[in-house]
Amino acid sequence: MGTGVRDNEFDVIIVGGGITGAGTARDCALRGLKVLLIERHDLATGATGRNHGLLHSGARYAVTDRESAEECIKENMILRKIARHCVEETEGLFLTLPEDDLAYQAKFVESCQAAGINAEIIDPKEALRMEPSANPDIIGAVKVPDGAVDPFRLTSANVIDAKLHGAKVMVYSEVTSLIKEGDTIKGVETFNHITKQKEKYYAPVTVNAGGIWGQHIAELAGAKINMFPAKGALLIFGHRVNNVVLNRCRKPANADILVPGDTICLIGTTSSRVPFEEVDNMYVTPDEVDVLLQEGEKLAPSLASTRILRAYAGVRPLVATDDDPSGRNISRGIVLLDHETRDGIKGFISITGGKLMTYRLMAEWATDLVCRKLNSSETCVTMHTPLPGSEKENIDEISQKTWSKPGATHKATVGRHGARAVSIGLNDEYDASLVCECEEVSVGEVRYAVNELDVHNLVDLRRRTRVGMGTCQGELCACRAAGMLADAHKCTDRAKNDLKSFVNERWKGMYPICWGDTLRESEYSQWIYSGVCGLESEGCETDKAE
Amino acid sequence: MRFDTVIIGGGLSGLVCGIRLQKSGKNCAIISAGQSAMHFSSGTFDLLGRMPDGSVVENPLEAIDRLDAGHPYSIIGKEKVARYATEAPDFLAGCGITVKGDAQSNSWRITPTGERKPAWLTLGDFTPLTSKNEKIGTKALIVNILGYLDFNTKFLADSFEKQGTVCRIASIRLEEMERLRKNPSEMRSTNIARVMDRDNIWEKAASQVKEMIKDEDVVVLPAVFGLKNAETVETMRKAIGIKTVFVATMPPSVPGIRTQMTLKAEFERAGGRFFIGDSVIEADFNEDNTVKSVATYNFGDIRVYADDFVLATGSFFSKGLIATPEKIYEPVFGIDLNYEEKRDGWFDRNFWNRQNYISFGAKVSEKLNTYVDGRPVENLYAIGSLLGGSNTLYEGCGGGVAIISALAAADEILHK
Amino acid sequence: MKMQEKNISENNFEQCIKCTVCTVYCPVVPVNPLYPGPKQAGPDGERLRLKKGLFFDNTLKYCLNCKRCEVACPSGVRIADIIQSARIKYTTEPPKLRDMILASTDFMGSVTTKVAPVANFALGLKPTKAVMDAVLKVDKHRTFPKYASKTFESWYKKNVKAFQESFNHHVSFFHGCYVNYNYPQLGKDLISVMNALGYGVHLLEKEKCCGTALISNCMIDQAKKNAVNNLESIRKSVYERQMPVIGTSSSCNFTIRDEYPHLLGIDNSDVRDYIELATRFIYRLVEEKKVKMVFKKDYKAKIAYHTPCHMERLGWGIFSTEILRMIPGVELTVLDSNCCGIAGTYGFKKENYEVSQAIGKPLFDQIARLKPDFVACDCETCKWQIEMSTEKEVKNPISILAEALDLIATSEANK
Repeated sequence: MGTGVRDNEFDVIIVGGGITGAGTARDCALRGLKVLLIERHDLATGATGRNHGLLHSGARYAVTDRESAEECIKENMILRKIARHCVEETEGLFLTLPEDDLAYQAKFVESCQAAGINAEIIDPKEALRMEPSANPDIIGAVKVPDGAVDPFRLTSANVIDAKLHGAKVMVYSEVTSLIKEGDTIKGVETFNHITKQKEKYYAPVTVNAGGIWGQHIAELAGAKINMFPAKGALLIFGHRVNNVVLNRCRKPANADILVPGDTICLIGTTSSRVPFEEVDNMYVTPDEVDVLLQEGEKLAPSLASTRILRAYAGVRPLVATDDDPSGRNISRGIVLLDHETRDGIKGFISITGGKLMTYRLMAEWATDLVCRKLNSSETCVTMHTPLPGSEKENIDEISQKTWSKPGATHKATVGRHGARAVSIGLNDEYDASLVCECEEVSVGEVRYAVNELDVHNLVDLRRRTRVGMGTCQGELCACRAAGMLADAHKCTDRAKNDLKSFVNERWKGMYPICWGDTLRESEYSQWIYSGVCGLESEGCETDKAE
Repeated sequence: MRFDTVIIGGGLSGLVCGIRLQKSGKNCAIISAGQSAMHFSSGTFDLLGRMPDGSVVENPLEAIDRLDAGHPYSIIGKEKVARYATEAPDFLAGCGITVKGDAQSNSWRITPTGERKPAWLTLGDFTPLTSKNEKIGTKALIVNILGYLDFNTKFLADSFEKQGTVCRIASIRLEEMERLRKNPSEMRSTNIARVMDRDNIWEKAASQVKEMIKDEDVVVLPAVFGLKNAETVETMRKAIGIKTVFVATMPPSVPGIRTQMTLKAEFERAGGRFFIGDSVIEADFNEDNTVKSVATYNFGDIRVYADDFVLATGSFFSKGLIATPEKIYEPVFGIDLNYEEKRDGWFDRNFWNRQNYISFGAKVSEKLNTYVDGRPVENLYAIGSLLGGSNTLYEGCGGGVAIISALAAADEILHK
Repeated sequence: MKMQEKNISENNFEQCIKCTVCTVYCPVVPVNPLYPGPKQAGPDGERLRLKKGLFFDNTLKYCLNCKRCEVACPSGVRIADIIQSARIKYTTEPPKLRDMILASTDFMGSVTTKVAPVANFALGLKPTKAVMDAVLKVDKHRTFPKYASKTFESWYKKNVKAFQESFNHHVSFFHGCYVNYNYPQLGKDLISVMNALGYGVHLLEKEKCCGTALISNCMIDQAKKNAVNNLESIRKSVYERQMPVIGTSSSCNFTIRDEYPHLLGIDNSDVRDYIELATRFIYRLVEEKKVKMVFKKDYKAKIAYHTPCHMERLGWGIFSTEILRMIPGVELTVLDSNCCGIAGTYGFKKENYEVSQAIGKPLFDQIARLKPDFVACDCETCKWQIEMSTEKEVKNPISILAEALDLIATSEANK
């Protein structure tokens, strides 16, 4: 539409750079709207990047929440087509252990089928052939179309496409207030944490896609949304133990999903209510670690002897249903609030609830409402438009076509960026030089991320490239990457402080499990950074939302 | 197989102890499971850089008096520490290792990220600074090898400029290096050093550097020269012609590895036996609670007997200490340790704060004898970073504890 | 509760702390830039391969399997095992004819010994070498070890088998392909020494090539067959006749003890402790004062001992050097530990020749400087390489012992 004439005027402002905001920005941009996406930290820092990375088949919800299950399986099939480079089609198993009730299996399969999920009971022996790491004592197994999805890649791809369609993306910009005239929201006031400037942006519609922090954004508009922060802790293991998603076939409980994701696998989650004030400060407790290990070993016994890389926790943005005045009933589905009809506030909508799996559908609903408000009749095309990078088929084909002798670095890069990897200079030997050896991240890829993917610091870089996500958790690569960022941003002090913050952020995931090889790795990191380099805490951000 | 003394652990501490004993006529063996932490050296040995309360130490020998009773220096005793610290440079020189430094006055080293840290003995490769803020020169030419990512020229330039040194960053490109670059993971310190060592490629590097100098009075280079031979570094200095400051790189450390190799060669030249890649898996005790023999993985049923055993197995990294979710233990002899039982007390949530686990380690008598189940083991000594009682990283005393406890234990054995 | 008491994986690659010490000691890295290095090829690569097999890289074939990375690793990671296992698991190309010929040491040996003079003559001819170089890619600089005209086994059966039962103590001898087809004299030396020490020497019921070369050329099915066969014979020797098994080749010993379980997945734990090098066996006997060695009065030799890579990994160099040091009149220098570059069949391949010689250069230089009378070494392929690359003859410590011992006096002392 392009109604805005000035730089700070847009058709729609989207607050929140998680997957919901990114997806909404893309949908709006694809429908021709002039979009501004604002995020106070980096992309995918909230719940988006702190979950299993499970491409749900919906089976997990089939018994308790059929609507969610149906949404999941539909979106599952769509993501396999539009987000190939973010998705791994691994299949999933729902395992019944001797201690579980086998009777649940029949009910489970029936519910799956009713929701349109292809759930198939298979012989436990067949299940063990499919996934040898599964507990050999299983008494039942159901095969479902689960998979793995990389939330960082998915968010980034949505943002890239939004930008390709004219959207402006501002990270490290925090909404400090909403500009309200009478009963209408006209725009937002922001504080840019990088330039330290206050700015104002205007649009006829503002979308609150702030996840758990959306409660606060709504408050700024004068509306009330009751969020119930639910903390979920997860453990990341050092390598892939399983190649098929393993679930417990029982009512959802602690640590009953083991998902392979890129080079690692992760078990989760726990579930506990936390006060809203604590959502920016999530620590994993020793008790949570213990529970995850005990239950995880039941799914795949080899986890008992597998190195844990780190522990982390996310907060689910659960929302109270509007029709319950007590605020105790939680909606598990997608919540789209038109604050005009709900609260009499015009030009402001909230999209929340839902899950990573249904982000596209949430974006579609939100964009439909935005378009109605803007009197646009454009329809959604995201269900069949591949994301940037996902236009082509597989890693090997892309690598072979692009490089004469593709090595591990080339393949890893294609795995992360899909077809867009071809624009990353890896032919030059200097560019092919490795920054992160564990994850095969090259100088060229780091440069590409810094130039094209809104990278402002090492933690951002990690989300775009997996620098520091490998076994050593940034021990050597962090310093190399910091040197490159110092070059790119022409500021060594900032780069050095950034290095300290990054090392500290890695440590946050390691100390809950600091024994065995993790403690050895930590001691080595201490030798390098505190010892050889002599760095000290001054200038380090000690607690930062990731 | 029988020796007078068997030392378990072939790092700095084990080697110093072994060399001292072997040269004093004891027949020694060192059993080492892999290479040691010398590979990650900072290029200096520190004696005491900071008190546990955080105050900076200028005169380590004077400050030792104020340390807690549990600190290894306090256990060994001030007089002995002073004696060993004073004789350490000569001891190392006797092994072919040149160091500069004074136990009564810390000098300063430049770290790979441009910080300045207190140092006691500095390897000949490096230039010790007399004060924290000493200027290295008026104008500095900082030279890197193109594509080498573990030498952070920007960080260094920034730190030198804070002292008023004007810096220019440049890089050299060598044909012989291009071969290395074909492999994305091999532009690392030791690989560069090995190429430089071959056919004296470093001469080319030196002459390229020399040609780059304009009006600079100091050249800064990464310490990636002379893996086999320390003289290379001196010859390079002469070839470049002006003051040349080598700065330690991210690990592996070329001067550190060379020092390790030199010490090992010295130990073997003196007649000691060095068993690398083997680990001690179990020990048996005499009735009087002394160690009788140990079994190693490679020797199998051929047990290794000795009058005295020295445990120099290091801390967690080298598996001298093992941590499980429930406990921390020493895996060979099960010696008594000082550590906090609750896991919460092992670490600080801020990486950059003092981490308690670094100070965990062996409980020892004033003769550095260990204990098992509260009973002293009169012929089993613990030395080096296996010792508890000091936060070596925070206090900056790892090198000193390693060298001094090694000499102290060797003398206890010799004077028995 | 004992959680994560043993938090290491089966193949223990996760114990890697990424310290890169292994890379420092890899002999291939500085001379062959195509090789990704032990850290990348080993534990780092393994994580990626577990994610997807397509991360397997054919350049892993440049690994010598010398195990020096494992000896250096402070974390006890079996780096070379990880690399070789990956080659075994993911290599899809069938082995080349050349590799099959080089690897099939016992087949080649059994055919060639029958026509030894002709074969030796032909293999030494320039035209033959040129054809092998061009067609088979066996480097022309290489001289094939000579084949004996009569195998050790047939000599043994004909000449000495009969009186071995007359001794009080007994051992079995795993002679290996080299002794059998190329250099029976070493086997004869072993029998002289052991007989003098009062031990009868017996052959295994059925000995096949240990499989070192089969493994490094990815001929795994054959290697497994040989392993199963050898272990069966070894078990018979150990359990039915209470005879431990000794050998003269460090690589055969290493393969049977460690590569069988680690690379072929064949359990040998019940007999592993009963397989060892003859020098270690003899060392134990001397230390326990069960045998006496009487040496010739006039034996004099300046010897440089080279520790083969697999010997370094076994950690048994000390037993061979201690035995040599027991000989009065021997002036022994232990050479700096350095791979000779041959690594079995590796150095014979045309594509590896230059790398192979570059790896060995420091060793050859040191030998040239020391000017020993000869070099001592427990590995036959190191022997070929050193003899091809220096002027010095290389002898197995057992052969040196056979020369230095007063065999008659020793026999008397051990009666």
